[in-house]
Amino acid sequence: MIKLDKISLSFPNFSLDNICLDIEKKDFFALIGPTGSGKSLLLEAMTGLIPVNKGKIFLKNKDITDLPVEKRNIALVYQDFALFPHLNVTQNILYGISYHKIPKKTAQDRFAMLINTLGLEKITKRSIQNLSGGEKQRISLARSLILNPSVLLLDEPLSALDPIFHEDAKELLKKIHKDLEITTIMVSHNFPDVLYLANRGAIIKDGRIMQKGKIEDIFEKPNSNFTAKFVGMKNIFPFSENNSKLFIKDNNKIEIMADHTPGANHKNIGIRPEDISFIDKRGNTFENAFNGIIDKISSSGIYLNIAAISQGIKFDIIWPRSYIRNYELKIGKKIAFGFPSEVVHTF
Amino acid sequence: MKKVEPITWLFVLLSLPLILLLTLPLLKMTLEPSWAMLLETICDKEVLAAMGRSIGTALSASFFAFIFGTPLAYLLARKNIFGKKIIEGIIDLPIMIPHPVVGIAILSLAGRNHPIGRFLSEVGIQIMGTKTGIILVLLFVGLPFYINTVKAGFESIPVRLEKASRTLGAGAFSTFVRVTFPLTWRHMILGIIMCTARAISEFGAVVIVAYHPMTAPVMIYERFTAYGLKYSQPIAVWLILISFILFIFLRLFSKSVNNYG
Repeated sequence: MIKLDKISLSFPNFSLDNICLDIEKKDFFALIGPTGSGKSLLLEAMTGLIPVNKGKIFLKNKDITDLPVEKRNIALVYQDFALFPHLNVTQNILYGISYHKIPKKTAQDRFAMLINTLGLEKITKRSIQNLSGGEKQRISLARSLILNPSVLLLDEPLSALDPIFHEDAKELLKKIHKDLEITTIMVSHNFPDVLYLANRGAIIKDGRIMQKGKIEDIFEKPNSNFTAKFVGMKNIFPFSENNSKLFIKDNNKIEIMADHTPGANHKNIGIRPEDISFIDKRGNTFENAFNGIIDKISSSGIYLNIAAISQGIKFDIIWPRSYIRNYELKIGKKIAFGFPSEVVHTF
Repeated sequence: MKKVEPITWLFVLLSLPLILLLTLPLLKMTLEPSWAMLLETICDKEVLAAMGRSIGTALSASFFAFIFGTPLAYLLARKNIFGKKIIEGIIDLPIMIPHPVVGIAILSLAGRNHPIGRFLSEVGIQIMGTKTGIILVLLFVGLPFYINTVKAGFESIPVRLEKASRTLGAGAFSTFVRVTFPLTWRHMILGIIMCTARAISEFGAVVIVAYHPMTAPVMIYERFTAYGLKYSQPIAVWLILISFILFIFLRLFSKSVNNYG
């Protein structure tokens, strides 16, 4: 659907370098990276708002690199929604209609469908001042979707919303993508949102693509320390190999069993903190099982972040809050924990 | 009753002399001429013509500031053009330099000794002693007020609104007409009022370029030197009244601009 072929962009203090992406029709593609990594710039480059220095952009196999912004029919929904303050809700939604030669009847039908789908029926005549963040976002989406764009670009669509709208907006984006089957590219630095919404994605750091592919693969099989940390894989240990056995380096006592043979260039083991289980007296068994002492407990809402030390190595673990009550977890308590070999990732 | 902080009293105390400095001389002058004298003055055809000329030329200068200054203000607000800081400095110059110098500078350029002056003369444009000359110097002195106000207006509009408009299919011109202009026209009105108000009061530059036809400030000066204070004051009172009305407008508009969005 949209293909970026060796795109480069340079500014005095920042550059996007040799970006290659191939986004398929109906994909929900996520551009993920920390603030300032160049994600939003890349979106603006796709729309043509920022001209690229090198490389080509193809839309439906047609070179659109030099096509003006207004001719591309690539919609961009900004983080702050960028609604026109001098127009009311309906006028905002219909803003682009006159430029797209959309027959009046079609426009009316799409308008009716969108305000119904997005729950905007009661506010069509209202000024956009004093609307909630969620309402503004839905208007901004309707304003783009009414033009039936080839690609929908979403710049951090969930980060400007209050927590109470966050989940609703996430569901809405999922529904829009499913119902309209529109190719969507979303910029985000929140991996849980990405994991829920996107099927494919790319990790960007300092203007370079670090990893791309299926979201589950990026999540479970990161290929670098940066990506691993970014996707929340907290237990990253350099390893050494001895007689086909993997040992945590600097320790050489803790053996980790993986369900695969590490690649020749692999240097690290990664284990997600939520993949580590508590071993209770009933004795659920794992290929990798350790005794340790709880060093730290902190709460992140409904989950506990636990640091457990085993033979001098710190394991970060995420368990439900109920474990405190069920297993009387406290700092200094001796525990047993483990994980199956299939959750051990090497890179 | 709400307690007033001591610092507020101190600030009021320090503000008072300034307010008195501004109001006392003007109040004294405004109240001095009799109603009959004021009425007689405003019925004087020469005075009326001078007033009309002052307002007409000032509005014309503002019109040209609007036509040519708006694109320049937009460029300065939105684009990283080469020598931007220097251009901004040049625009502010008329605020700083003595106004007779402005008149002399324009005259030296428009005189017969300069190619531009010769060219203007050949195409039938006279600067010295004409309304054209007056409008030109008023534009010169009023332009910074227009451009700086409108530039601030453009800067207050998030550039993302223009970008969003472009992605929705509008071209650059259409975006300016449908998004930028509706959100900044109040600043343009504000700029026009400031430019007009500044232009109406201009004396130093005008008197060099065009003593005749006479504008109101030149006439005040002329009546003062020829007949004394008594005959110049009523014209000054009318000029103050007109300027005061303009600035009331200015304040009302600036309030609505601040309340916008």
